[in-house]
Parts: sequence; structure tokens; C-alpha cells
Amino acid sequence: MNIEKFMGDVRLKYPKILDIIEINRKRLMVFLPREELLAVTDYVFRELECRYIIVTGMDSQEGYEIIYHYSDDSSGWMINLNVILPHNDPQVESITPVVYGAEWIEREIMDLLGITFLHHPKPERFLMAESWPEGEYPFRRKNREE
Amino acid sequence: MGKRTIVPIGPYHPLLEEPEFFKLYCDGETVVDMVWETGYNHRGIEKICESKTFEQVFYVVERICGICSTSHPFAYANAVESIPGVEIPLRAKYIRSVIGELERIHSHLLWVGLAGHFLGYNTVFMWAWKYREPVLDMFEIITGNRNSYAMFTIGGVRRDINSEQADLLLKVLKDVEVKSKMLTGAVIDDPVLHARLKGVGVLTAQDIHDFGAVGPTARASGVDIDVRRDDPYAAYDLVDWKVITASGGDVFAKAEVRLLEIFESISIIRQCLQILQTLPEGDIKAKVKDIPAGIGIGHAEAPRGEVFHFVKSDGSNSPVRHKIRAPSYTCIPTFRRSCIGGTISDAAIATAAVDPCYCCTERMAQAYDINTGEKRYNAAELIRLSQMKTEEIKKQLLKR
Repeated sequence: MNIEKFMGDVRLKYPKILDIIEINRKRLMVFLPREELLAVTDYVFRELECRYIIVTGMDSQEGYEIIYHYSDDSSGWMINLNVILPHNDPQVESITPVVYGAEWIEREIMDLLGITFLHHPKPERFLMAESWPEGEYPFRRKNREE
Repeated sequence: MGKRTIVPIGPYHPLLEEPEFFKLYCDGETVVDMVWETGYNHRGIEKICESKTFEQVFYVVERICGICSTSHPFAYANAVESIPGVEIPLRAKYIRSVIGELERIHSHLLWVGLAGHFLGYNTVFMWAWKYREPVLDMFEIITGNRNSYAMFTIGGVRRDINSEQADLLLKVLKDVEVKSKMLTGAVIDDPVLHARLKGVGVLTAQDIHDFGAVGPTARASGVDIDVRRDDPYAAYDLVDWKVITASGGDVFAKAEVRLLEIFESISIIRQCLQILQTLPEGDIKAKVKDIPAGIGIGHAEAPRGEVFHFVKSDGSNSPVRHKIRAPSYTCIPTFRRSCIGGTISDAAIATAAVDPCYCCTERMAQAYDINTGEKRYNAAELIRLSQMKTEEIKKQLLKR
């Protein structure tokens, strides 16, 4: 895959994309609004056949950052889709219906960061014990400046 | 639909080395559904890393897995070094590759042994583990440890490989090569293993893409991916080697890929050692002052597949977020395609074929009375108790 071509194509196809930056050598970060996530995921995973790696959930100043990592093994480039969710409304569409392998990690992020993945086929606890208290999320920052 | 029987395996079971829980839903002999539960080993390593310095994180991530204990530091080094854009010395690149490949040899031998054991073929188990032993001894000579080698650091490696060690390693490799050839021949030509493993736990290339499975699991289904070649790091683009693939997608193909990879690893190490002789000794670490704010994403090819590390730095001396993905995380869920529809007796080896690693070493810190909830022992007392027991056993043995 030619990465310049990808950057042009994806911008044309999905004009709502907020920004595309090369964060490091061969690492691309694509910032998108959450409404566009499923469409772009479908494009990257199914059409371009990039390999799904994993999803990272992170509590940062701007909101809950959910980063979807994909790899294009033919060129060695990694494409990272970044969706920022507001702290007061942490929900986003589940990508599991498109990317079958994302079921576990979405459940893990549910456990650890308290994100709601809409239309997840099995929104059950994954890592935390059944006795773990509701509404306690280890990866949320307690001393965030509001 | 007929009546279903649930066969529970785990979380603690004589067959399992690590705690995990499988629920097999069976209709007669056929597995119709399977549920896998986890969390018994959760140690919160990602969170722990946030409280360590960039330097210390190496030794934390090394302890994620006891078998591929250098692959996590490898991926972490690739991630963290990409933030300031460090170029590590050439000698360190070759040493890193030597350590990475030695680990692949011992890990693949371990898997072949375990796979034999799961099939009730204990001769293979005994052989493979016997031939693995000198590799571990070699690790001890080079790094000081049979496991958890503490070789990696930001900007290079912590110990050099001198010419004496290199000579010894070449000798050991020669022996390992002969023995592995014999083992490979014995496994690949064995009609019993053909009958038992061919067509069992088949994964197609589409299954691999759906789940994001990596490493030998993917390569055995004809998916030609290997981070060492696709996004080269350390010295992998400086030596000559090839990616091993197979087309069957079954357990036999996975065994074949792993066994043949041992010889590629031996070849990589030989080439690295040859070049190491021509490089000045001692130049093994680049100076890195600090890690600026930024994001580093690194991956490395572990024996089980790609290890992925995501590190975010805010310019302080520890990461603000450290995400880790081990290869088993995307390989284990493939059981949904490999086990369902097969028989109960195939489920064990089909699951074992991805070489699952549940990131072992769970540690108990305190013991509580289950009825009253009172604290009975703390960690130090538990250690003291176990030492007392050892003393007791020693005394009894001496009496005999």
C-alpha cells in the first residue's frame, strides 16, 4: 500500500476526518469523529485488508482516547485510528461486528475504563472479578483537572 | 437441538500449567460451542508500568511471560526508542537479534515437547526438552540468567557477547541443529502424528484476518507475515533469512512451521556472530538523555507472534500510558473456528496449537480465612512457612 495515496484517498472518501499526522517513522495517526469510526474501520480492515492489532483506551485531558491499531504488513506502516470521547459521554459504536477479533479488547476497555461500546454482541465482564464494585474503573484518572 | 453437555476444564486442572477456564458445550462427542474465561492471572502490569521509570519498565515487562521473556523488552525498546529517534550501535543490534533468536529456538522446542505431551507422545516431550536445555545454559553464560535475561536497555544492551562466548555458542548451536534435525524428521515423517494432526483444528487465511492472529499460527495458514521482515528492527534486515510458511492451517502445519523456524534462527545467529567478530567490542549502548513527550509504537516478532507495545510519554521520566498486547491475545480466540465442530479429544491439541501463553506467575500476597475473613498469613510468613516445610522434608530425607 502506498501511504501517500492512502492519506489522499481516505481524506477524499471521509471528509469529516479531523486530522492525519505521522507521529513517528512509519506510524500514522488518523483523528476522526466517532460517527465516522465504523465506516473508516470497514474501509481500513475490509477494503484495504490491514491487519487488526489491538485497541488502546486512555484517559487524557481531552477525553477518553480510544486508539484502534492496524498494520499494513506489505509496507510496514501502522495506521492508528484515534477517536476522542468526551468525559461526560463515554460511548462509541462497537467495531466487533466488523472486526471479529475485537470482542475481548472492547470488553476489557469496558472493565478498565468504563466505556460503553454500543451494539457489542457480548457486553459482559472480561478481566475483573464478578465481585468488583460497579462504577469503579482502574484506568480512570482520579485527579483530573475539570 | 439435542441435549448439550457442558465439559468444564479449569480454572485449576492437572492438564493446565496456568489457570484458565474452558467450558466446552458438547453434543455427544462434538464440540458445538466453547466459552473461555480469563482474569485469573490479571496482574495490572500496564498500570504498574505507569509508576516506574522508562528504564525500570524493561524489567517489569520482562516478567510478563517467563518463556518469551525477551520479546516484551524488545517491543518496548522499539516503542520507547522511537520517541526520541535513537539509533542504537550496530553491535547492540546484532546482540539483540542473537538473544531474540536464541529465545525462539528454546520456545519452539518447548512447544514441540508440550504438543507431544498433550498427544500422549511423551518421547517427543522428553527429547525436545532435553535438547532445549543447552540453549538455556547458553543464556546463563551470556546473560547470567536462564530466564528473564535483563539484556535490554534504552539505547542498546547491557552485556556484550565476547569471542569466547561466541565460540561456545557456535558449538552448542551445531549440536542443537543436529538434534533438531533428528526431531524434525521424527515428527514430520511419523505416520501416527500425520493421522492425529492433519486436518485437525484447521484455520483458514480468512479466520486469521478476522481475528488478527499472528506468528506461526498465521504463517501455518499461508498468511505470509513476519514483523522481522515487514517492519525490520535490530539486525534482521542485515542478515539473510526467509519466512517459513505452510498451507494446511491445521495443527500439523503449525508444528512444521515452528520446527523449520528453528533452523532459520540458527542461521540468523551464525550470521550475527560472524559479523560481531568484525565489530569493536564494548560499543553496545547509545546515550539517551531523556524521553521527550510523544507517542511510541513498537512491535517485535516473539516466538508466538507479534508483541505490540504502545507508550505515551509526557516528557516526565515515566510513561503516562503503556498498552501491551501479547500474541496470544489475538491467537487464543481463534479456538472459536478451530475447535467448534471438532471432537472433544481434538479440542486440547487445537487450542494448544496456537501455543497459548496466559502470562503466568500469579503471586499470592496474603491469605485470608475463608469463613471469618480474618487475615491469616502475609507474604513474608508464607515464605517462612514454605522454608520451614523444605527444612522438614530435608530432615526426613536424611533420616532414611
